[in-house]
Amino acid sequence: MNVTTELHDWRILERIVGLTSRHGCRYTALDVRADADRYHASIDFDGPPEALRRLSAQLTRLLADDKEMSL
Amino acid sequence: MSDNAAVTGAQLILDILTDEGVEVVFGYPGGAIMPLYDALYTHPIEHILTRHEQGAAFAAGGYARSTGRVGVCMATSGPGATNLVTGLLDAYMDSIPIVAITGQVRTTLMGTDGFQEADVTSIMGGVTKRAVCVRDVADLERTIRAAFRVARGPRPGPVLVDVPNDIFKAMCKPMNPLPARAGSDAIATRDDASIEAALDLLAAAKRPLVLVGGGARSANAIHLYREFVAMCGVPHAATINGLGASLPDDPSYLGMLGMHGRKCANLAVSEADVIFALGMRFDDRVTGRPDRFARNAKIVHADIDRSELGKIVPIEIALHGDLRATLGRLVRAAARRTLPSFAKWTSDAAHLADNGPSGNALPVDRTPHGELSATSVLDAFFAHAPEDTIVTTDVGQHQMWAAQRQRATHPRDFLTSAGLGSMGFGLPAAIGAQAAHRERTVVAIVGDGGFQMSLPELATLKRANLSVKILLIDNQRLGMVRQWQELFFEGRYSHTDLSDNPDFAIIASAYGIAAERVEDASDLPGAFDRWLRAKGPALLHCACYASENVWPLIPPGANVPETMEGAPEREPAIA
Repeated sequence: MNVTTELHDWRILERIVGLTSRHGCRYTALDVRADADRYHASIDFDGPPEALRRLSAQLTRLLADDKEMSL
Repeated sequence: MSDNAAVTGAQLILDILTDEGVEVVFGYPGGAIMPLYDALYTHPIEHILTRHEQGAAFAAGGYARSTGRVGVCMATSGPGATNLVTGLLDAYMDSIPIVAITGQVRTTLMGTDGFQEADVTSIMGGVTKRAVCVRDVADLERTIRAAFRVARGPRPGPVLVDVPNDIFKAMCKPMNPLPARAGSDAIATRDDASIEAALDLLAAAKRPLVLVGGGARSANAIHLYREFVAMCGVPHAATINGLGASLPDDPSYLGMLGMHGRKCANLAVSEADVIFALGMRFDDRVTGRPDRFARNAKIVHADIDRSELGKIVPIEIALHGDLRATLGRLVRAAARRTLPSFAKWTSDAAHLADNGPSGNALPVDRTPHGELSATSVLDAFFAHAPEDTIVTTDVGQHQMWAAQRQRATHPRDFLTSAGLGSMGFGLPAAIGAQAAHRERTVVAIVGDGGFQMSLPELATLKRANLSVKILLIDNQRLGMVRQWQELFFEGRYSHTDLSDNPDFAIIASAYGIAAERVEDASDLPGAFDRWLRAKGPALLHCACYASENVWPLIPPGANVPETMEGAPEREPAIA
């Protein structure tokens, strides 16, 4: 599973790492680049399909909250 | 906020709170947050001093749950902040808007393991929508404004702003107010095809069912929800956070869903061929085993949070967006159609449990020697309570008995820690609700376990002169755990005996709160009258039978066919 997104608060990475571990998954590639006021992230995850599905839902909520805070 | 003369960061925060419509905050002072409390000393915002920071967070939650407005709590750094964790997680789980403001050690001390220093934003990351530390006073206004915007939604929740001591004291100039946030209607579904497809499913259904959750409360969509179910003529049921969305006497309302839900409501889920799930998230206490939940149904799921759609159970149609807008579209689209009559199914659904051991009634245990039963207390209470009473509960057996019996006519009138199930919630949540609704009757139904987690808030009640009425269901046990020990752990009652409870009436009296103890059911009517009419806060202590259980019960990991309506007969113990 790949997630490519903009992070408005780079500390979200800490939460992503924590959630990945909590769901029994791991990331196999992590690329984060800083821009002026945001970060471009591309993360590849590996793990059991059901765990990845749940992780995806959690990340969707997390990234939506990050986007809200930046508006 | 009309002029932009320089003010301290603390003053700026209070001015923003006023501008955001905040009238009351709940909190507890301490070293790092002293500049904010100093500014509060002469500020018109009311501050209610709780006696524990956890109480402040729960009170802010009770305020927010009962009003729909943002609840505000504040605490100092380190232990003050960490004591907010449970209350903020409770709000996160149930999507309740809270802004928490915490003091932090000054910026030059951060990272030195200074006195009362904690990495609060990291700690709070998993229990809030966002947790932000303001390290530059120039960012303070934008951050506080954003915190309110994010707390309100689209999906509401708690936001924490951590403010170092020196930022409170730094001078700054307020900006002009930021533009009002876009309403959550801005992300209402624009997908007319999905609306029509959902109604096509309904039109083709034989046994449709509508389920409602806390999202209807958050979206202020209750009137549209009622209009939708009425115009469709379908049976409906609610999650615990959706209680009150349907009127209790509506004949097509089946009751609460889930582990301790009404049996006909759960059976209707199993029988249904189409389910509209509105503002609910398929919690495991509702679904049991998700792979066996509603196996005969195609599910239309409407929710503000895209991440909830299809997260737990497979769905046929997703309606992503603000529920009020979605329901408005459904109502308008349904009005253009001629839907079939579901009258026979609606009538049948209400009687699905008629052939069970308890029929359609709630099964109750008999007390062996005429002891006071908790269920009879709650039956009598809900018969006596004024119609517009706001009820909060703590967590455990009494919570489920109350949820089964409550007669709320709006979801903001029945407040409970649903997702997190946090003991100690009931009393401080009632404090928050009463602070928002001074003229209404607010009752905290608590058990003896959870009450003892919130005893310090009796002082809060007294100081703030809040008329909260406490109904204490005292079975001298951690009753829900005891029940599971009886049913699933072979009667090994490990550490659930509270038979050495203190005299709660004396404790309440020591705080200057009127109290009365009842042990006999015949004394209840008079006691209720005195208790409900008491001026100021009052405690009614009901000494109840210890071994009464909550029925029905769908055991964990099981589903509707395995519903228990009483304890299985056991072999007599060998002496």
